[in-house]
This record gives sequence, structure tokens and C-alpha cells, in this order.
Amino acid sequence: MSTSAADTEQITIPDTVEELLGEEDARPDTPWIVIVWNDPVNLMSYVVLVLQKLFGYSRPKATRLMLQVHHEGRAVVANGTREKCEVDVARLHGYGLWATMQRDD
Amino acid sequence: MAFRPVKRRRRDGRVVITLPAPVAQLVGRVVAELGDMLIAPQDGAISSRLFPRAYLDPTEEHAEQEFQSLVHDDLVRARLEAVAAMVAELEAARPIGSDRVEIVLDAEGEHRWLTVLNDARLTLGTVLGVTEDEPLDFPDDDPRAAGADMYALLSALQGELVEVALAQLPETGTDDPAPS
Repeated sequence: MSTSAADTEQITIPDTVEELLGEEDARPDTPWIVIVWNDPVNLMSYVVLVLQKLFGYSRPKATRLMLQVHHEGRAVVANGTREKCEVDVARLHGYGLWATMQRDD
Repeated sequence: MAFRPVKRRRRDGRVVITLPAPVAQLVGRVVAELGDMLIAPQDGAISSRLFPRAYLDPTEEHAEQEFQSLVHDDLVRARLEAVAAMVAELEAARPIGSDRVEIVLDAEGEHRWLTVLNDARLTLGTVLGVTEDEPLDFPDDDPRAAGADMYALLSALQGELVEVALAQLPETGTDDPAPS
């Protein structure tokens, strides 16, 4: 599940400037966030399951986010470019969660 | 309608659900109704709950239209396919003894049941006006009482399925620090 160890061990050096720029461009610091809103229907356990399955979060992190949704009415569950956030929102809607996206400002 | 569905995960990873036969029939009927609702949505509140906006910001209306044009039809189709498959699985359930049936779900089926049960609960919950603060409680002669029973049944069934699904997922995730 966790690929972070492999990622940090295999740092590849780009061959070209274009590749370097391309890599940087692929994960720009674009300020979009995905929000999950509280609703009275979705089971708490189901929300944890969906957050783990969709984002690969650990049980503690998924549980923390679910509780934040439950108690505070909403939680930021993901961020990234507009395109990435649209994909995340669409997948969350597919699971029946009430998700929206907005600029992080 | 108090019942506890018997469920277990087999060694091959499949989930076995055992239900009283009338319960399986009832679930099949309500899921089929969800399918009808998806084909011809009557209620704006249900529609906006099953197909929420991605953007709340009204200045993003163009992006919202584009988002919906990309995902809405696919989401309807995926939901209808899942409903049809689940109805078929319930109809083909294997009788166990005289009064129960057994359904065996592979990973896809498990996913399908989880999302369809959730969609059915979202729909029914919206109709019944479910809130977090108080449990649904209608007088017996209220036509919504049967709906509330159905909602409780679907919730119990989904809760059980979520439990077996969570038991199979690891506790760890991508947010954990890499072991050094």
C-alpha cells in the first residue's frame, strides 16, 4: 500500500531541462482543495472506508477526517490541481459522498 | 424487522451474505425502485443529493457545467448497471434451508452492494427527511413508517458490509511516514 518508501529511495535525475520543467509542471502548487461535507445519511464507518480506498489514507487519518466532517461539518480531504480535484470529486460522488471543490484561499 | 445478516469472508476473498428470504425480496424491490428513480428523477432534492455540484462558487458556473457534462451521464449509467446487477444477484440468491438465501460477492460485487445500498439510503433518507439529531420515529399508521423500517434495514445491511470491508483494509496508509 505505502509506496512512499520506494519513492524516496529512487530519485531519478532528469536528463533534460524540458523533463525537469515537465516534472515540476506535473505537480504545481495549485491551490485547489476537495471538501467533504457532513450529511445525516452516510455511515461514519462508510466514510472511513471510502477515504481509505480512494486516497490510500491510513485508518487513523481517515478516521480523523471523518470525525472532522462529523463534528465541524466539513473537512478538506485532498488538494492539488483543478483537474486532479475534479477527478477526486467525481470519484467521491460515485461513492455517494457530498463533495465539492474550491480554490484554497 | 430486527435481523442480523450473517456474513463472512471466505478464504478466496469473497463475501458470503445470508439473509432471510423475505428480506432479500424486500431489498431487491427497493433497489429496483432506486433504478426507476435514476431513470426518471422526480425529486430535485434527491437528484442534487445523488448528483451534487462540484463547485459551490457561482462564478465557476462554466466549470460546473463542464464537470457535469463529463461525469453526470457516466454516473447515471454506472449506477443503473450496479442496480441491475444487484437485483439480478438477489433474484439468483441460493436458498439455504427453507427460509433463507445466500449471496456470494466477489470484490466487484462487494463494491457494487456497498454503493447501491448507500444510494438507496441517500434516496430514502432524503425522502424521509433523516436528520442527525433524532432517530426516525413515525406512528404505525403513518405511511412513512414502512419507509423508516426499510431505511433501518438498509442501514444495518450496509453497516455489516462496511465492517467486513474495513476488516480487510490495512490500518496503514500513504500518509504514514516511510520506515527508515
